[in-house]
Amino acid sequence: MEAIDLAEARDRELVLGIRRRDEEAFRGLFGRYAPGAKALAMRVVRQSHLAEEIVQEAFMALWRNPAAYDDQRGSVQSWLMGMVHHRAVDLVRREESYRRRAEKTAHQAMELESDHADAVVEQIGLPEERRRVRAALDELPEAQREVLERMYFDGMSQSQIAEATGLPLGTVKSRTLLGMRRLRAALVQEEP
Amino acid sequence: MTRDHTVIEELLAIRSLGGLDGDDVGLLERELASHGDCEECRRLASEYDETAGRLAFALDPETVDMARADEILQRANHPATQAVVPPPVAAPVNELEERRGRRSRSGPALVAAAVAVLLVVSAVALFGPNRSTGVQASTDQQVVGFTGDAGELAMAYRPGEPGALLLGSGFADPGADKVYAIWMLQGSTPVSGGCVRPHDGSIVAFVDADLTGTDQMAVTVEPASCPSAPTTRPVLVSDPLVA
Repeated sequence: MEAIDLAEARDRELVLGIRRRDEEAFRGLFGRYAPGAKALAMRVVRQSHLAEEIVQEAFMALWRNPAAYDDQRGSVQSWLMGMVHHRAVDLVRREESYRRRAEKTAHQAMELESDHADAVVEQIGLPEERRRVRAALDELPEAQREVLERMYFDGMSQSQIAEATGLPLGTVKSRTLLGMRRLRAALVQEEP
Repeated sequence: MTRDHTVIEELLAIRSLGGLDGDDVGLLERELASHGDCEECRRLASEYDETAGRLAFALDPETVDMARADEILQRANHPATQAVVPPPVAAPVNELEERRGRRSRSGPALVAAAVAVLLVVSAVALFGPNRSTGVQASTDQQVVGFTGDAGELAMAYRPGEPGALLLGSGFADPGADKVYAIWMLQGSTPVSGGCVRPHDGSIVAFVDADLTGTDQMAVTVEPASCPSAPTTRPVLVSDPLVA
C-alpha cells in the first residue's frame, strides 16, 4: 500500500518536472503510463493506429499544459487515463460507423503493431494496481459489471446500453451507480 | 441542513465513465448549479473520476515504442503552422474512399477553383520547386476544386511532376490543437500530404510529394500531432486528378 503512495508521489514529481519543461520527466511519465493508456484507447476504439494517435494527443496535451493537472482532484494516473478515455470515447461517438467496419480487421492490426514495436516499456509497480482493479471488478455482481464495462471499455453511453440490452434507462443508471459505489469503496475510499 | 446528493451522485458516476448523454447532461449541470459551492459535490466528482481512471489498469498494457515520446516532444515544440509532410504511411480503407463514391459537385467549390486558377498558376510558378519562372510554362497545369463545407479550396499541379499547391479561403479555425490534414487518395489508401492551419480563414499549402498514383485529394480535421492516417471523415474531397 505504501508503494502506491510512493508511486503517486513520484508521478506528481514528474508532473512538476514537466512544468519546468524537463523532457526526461516527460519521458518518465510516458514510459510509465503510455502502455496502459494505449491499452485503454485500443479497447475503446479497437484500432491500433487510432489508439496510438489518441495516446500521442493526450501526452502532447500534458506536455503543452501540465498545469491542467490539479493534485487536489486526484491521482496523476487517473487524470491521464481520464484524458485518454475522454478522447477515445469522443472519437468512437463521432466515428461509430467507422469503428464497426474497422472491428473486423482490428485484431490483425493489433498483431501487426506488436510485431513492429521497437521497445517494450516496463510498468514498474503497475501489476499490483492491475491485480487490485481486476479483483474489484470481479467482486461486482455480473449485471453491474456488464454495464460498467460496456460504458467504460466499449465507450457506450447510458442510452446506447439501454438500447443494446433492452434494459430500462433507469436500470442502467442504477446499476452503474451501484457498481461504481462498490468500486469506489474498493479502489479509492479504502486506500490508505 | 444536509442536502440530498442521490441524483448528483448517480449522474457523476455515469459521467466519470463517459456514459452520460441526452437530457441528463443538462440535468447534472442544473443540479450542480443548484448546490452552489458544494464540498460534497466536489468530493463525489473527484472520487468517481479517480475510480474510473483506475479501471484502465484492469487491461493488459500494450507495447509502446519509447521513441514516440521524443516524437511528441518534437511535434509539441514545433507545431505545424504550414504544410508539414510526415512520411507516407498506409492506412486501411475508410470513410475517404466511401465519400468518393457519393460525393457530388457543388457550385461554390467550382467557383472557388475557377477564381483560384490565376492565383494558383502564378503561385506555383513562383514557389514550386523546379518550376520555370514564366507563367507561360504552366499551360500543362491542372487545377482541381474541392467539394465540402469546410471552405473553398483549389489545388494546382502538373501531372507527372511532384508537388501541388493548395489555396483556400473561408476556412473556420479547426479548434485548439486541431489542424486541417491533406490526404492523397491512392487507390484505397489515404497518404498524408501534411497538415495546415488557416490564417484569417485562408490556406496556402505546398504539398511536396509525388502525386503519381493519386486519384483524388481529401481534407480532414485532425489533432495537431498531424497523424499518419485519418481519424475523422473528410470535410473536403477533390475532383478526380488527371494522370
